[in-house]
Amino acid sequence: MPTNNPLPPKENALFKRILKCYEQKQYKNGLKFAKQILSNPKYAEHGETLAMKGLTLNCMGRKEEAYEFVRRGLRNDLKSHVCWHVYGLLQRSDRKYDEAIKCYRNALKWDKDNLQILRDLSLLQIQMRDLEGYRDTRYQLLVLRPGQRASWIGYAMAYHLLKEYEMALNILEEFRKTQTVKPYDYEHSELLLYQNMVMREAGLDKESLEFLETHDQQIVDKLALQETKAVLLSKLGQDQKAAVIYKELLMRNPENAAYFKLVEDTTNPENVEERLKIYTDTLEKFPRASLPKRLPLNFLTGEAFRKRVDQYLRIALHKGVPPLFINLRSLYRDPEKVRIIEELVLGYEESLGTNEYFSPEDEGKLEKESASVLLWTHYYLAQHFDQLGQTKRALEFINKPVESTPTLVELFVLKGRIYKHGGDIHEAVVNLDEAQSLDTADRFVNSKCAKYMLRANMVKEAEDMCAKFTREGVSAVENLNEMQCMWFQCECAAAYQRLGKWGDALKKSHEVDRHFSEIIEDQFDFHTYCMRKMTLRAYVGLLRLEDVLRNHKFYFRAAKIAIQIYISLHDHPVLDGEQDEKANAENLTPSEFKKLRNKQRKALKKAAQEKEKQKEQDKKDQSKTKPQDPDVDGPKEEELLPEKLCRPASPLDQAIRFLRPLQTLAASKVETHVLAYEIYSRKGKLLLMLQSIKRGYRVDKNDPHLHICMIKFLQTGKIY
Amino acid sequence: MTRGTTELGDVTPHNIKQLKRLNQVVFPVSYNDKFYKDVLEVGELAKLAYFNDIVVGAVCCRIDTSENQRRMYIMTLGVLAPYRRYGIGTIILEHVLKICEKDGNFDNIHLHVQINNDGAIKFYEKFGFEIAEKKANYYKRIEPADAYVLQKTFRSKEVKESKEAQS
Repeated sequence: MPTNNPLPPKENALFKRILKCYEQKQYKNGLKFAKQILSNPKYAEHGETLAMKGLTLNCMGRKEEAYEFVRRGLRNDLKSHVCWHVYGLLQRSDRKYDEAIKCYRNALKWDKDNLQILRDLSLLQIQMRDLEGYRDTRYQLLVLRPGQRASWIGYAMAYHLLKEYEMALNILEEFRKTQTVKPYDYEHSELLLYQNMVMREAGLDKESLEFLETHDQQIVDKLALQETKAVLLSKLGQDQKAAVIYKELLMRNPENAAYFKLVEDTTNPENVEERLKIYTDTLEKFPRASLPKRLPLNFLTGEAFRKRVDQYLRIALHKGVPPLFINLRSLYRDPEKVRIIEELVLGYEESLGTNEYFSPEDEGKLEKESASVLLWTHYYLAQHFDQLGQTKRALEFINKPVESTPTLVELFVLKGRIYKHGGDIHEAVVNLDEAQSLDTADRFVNSKCAKYMLRANMVKEAEDMCAKFTREGVSAVENLNEMQCMWFQCECAAAYQRLGKWGDALKKSHEVDRHFSEIIEDQFDFHTYCMRKMTLRAYVGLLRLEDVLRNHKFYFRAAKIAIQIYISLHDHPVLDGEQDEKANAENLTPSEFKKLRNKQRKALKKAAQEKEKQKEQDKKDQSKTKPQDPDVDGPKEEELLPEKLCRPASPLDQAIRFLRPLQTLAASKVETHVLAYEIYSRKGKLLLMLQSIKRGYRVDKNDPHLHICMIKFLQTGKIY
Repeated sequence: MTRGTTELGDVTPHNIKQLKRLNQVVFPVSYNDKFYKDVLEVGELAKLAYFNDIVVGAVCCRIDTSENQRRMYIMTLGVLAPYRRYGIGTIILEHVLKICEKDGNFDNIHLHVQINNDGAIKFYEKFGFEIAEKKANYYKRIEPADAYVLQKTFRSKEVKESKEAQS
């Protein structure tokens, strides 16, 4: 419905120019034109102009004024879809998505078929995962623009995400039939593969396979085609045909472990020899492939294992492969294999030391091995004994090459690691520092050094170490936060926690939490982009990833630290004037206590004075600050101040905020439920406490912390 | 199976500490910060030697314009003990000699060795170096303190003189 207050031709033209200026980001011009309309006394309160002015101001960073104008405009013209649309845009730019959806819906009330509003609404709905709303909006878009590809696909995808596969497939099939296919049509191929994906999720395996075979020629992603076909053949019980495809895939990529496993599954070898044959056949065609040499070690045993691992070790040690131990580490679960490996490598060490051969039998038949081979043998043995927990022996073995070849970075990294495992973190830091100084261009070693420093609670030193690689002009901590460097922030949080600096630790945890929120926010642009580029499978994958994003281990670490701190703040709150110290007033004598009280009073006074000063300074700053950089979109987030964070109004509520995603996404970890119990027990919520215990019990009934919770719970029960 | 590959790499501010470590272990003489500062400026005259991708040797030279001559001076050339007799020293020295040859304007190349360092003396003699003189008490803090000057002449001066004589 049109607005109450239509503009005459001259003003209308100006208004149209305002819109154009907004689209072309010429904000100053837009404001000029708006001023022209508003200076005319008849249209000084014209709703839509005011709204557009507000929108332009918002893009220039003047948020408060923007809101004022938009609200005024809306008040003056409640029936204008433009005003509602603009208000919705404002809310969206501040990430208030729920409010924005309401505004868009209102806008649609007055202009049912406005494409722009419908599109914006659909984006918000999928962002908020309002799938039913998304489906309805997509339907309207389809009705209005049946010629556009995105309308059909968006509509089908809505049903797919709602798991109504039949509808989705009908739509996709209808759409597919209308398409004309070019010779090498990537976008059509992606459409076909997406359609196939929906079929497979619907469980229509036979139809999926037929579909792939029919459209074989049009699908350009041959790898996906082959892999999917093989999976479907397996599911339909045609293992032999599947095996043929997997063997072809192996020829394509002999370094893919999944293919080897699938070949084994589909050919079902009866004994070890047949199993081994798969790998030796691949090796015949690809003699330099590394995976077919490594995988048989997993299932071979005894003498056959010994022969192969001997060969494997010799080649790797001769070449000087640093990650040799890492490659073999998964074998260390089997004590028999550990024994065989130890015997072999100790044998090499002895033989190389005396006459430069891997074993005495080689003398005369093969060439001698060089000194670097002995170095890597010692390196391997150090890692071997470190894994077995024999720190002293490990150190013996690493010290030999350190003495003979003190130029090799890896040696010092390993020595540091051994000390860390042995418990001497400070000595570990010394070694890592040496390692990073030898090659200051190596960011990996630099980061490892910083991590070890944080483990040793040397926070400042770690920051300085990281600063060697972060952007100049910015503090290292700030830059790492900008770059979402979560390993650093989690380690910092843990270090601060150990040091008892609650505020700083909480700040880091909150920063990590914000990164996750940011990553979820960032998917907004992909809704249009992926539709346009037709990368539909990847797009659905993205949506599903974002749904479970907080199951990531970094979030778990940060949340755990935050919850633990909030719980301890609940038990021992930080008082005003106290500097986060674990000062215990009960341990002081009366005179000391008086002194402490005086000190606290003085500190309080000083703090109050500083607050006054700060307020005045802030006022001055505000009047001085220029408007924000217009490119910065999204609301400026509240700064995280450690002093404020460690004095929360309700620490348990904050803890629960961190707990919620863990309960949904990390429910398979018993720690989640232990933490939940701790929070709920302090809130006195008996049923929730019991629920946490039950969930934890289901995961791991032998966990010691859970056991303590159960005892405490039973004691609480006794009281009642 | 071959023993291993030897390659020469540049000395950069990033890896200079590896050079320091190497010199500390190989040589009984210690070098000061200025030495390492200068080393970064000489380009191809300073190299690290990699054996199977591990730094095991290095060379530092400079161009010496004393005594009215243009001479190449080898300040340090060494390989870690476990890695000697693999031909690494040869590759290093050949690199330096090649620079002298390409340049064409060097009168000679020379270096100092402790008089008891037979291994080094034999090594350089293989390449045509000779004992030119003996400097007593050349070294300040080690025994024996005397040093030989080993030198290999390139005859560029004689060639120049003879050319001038002809024209």
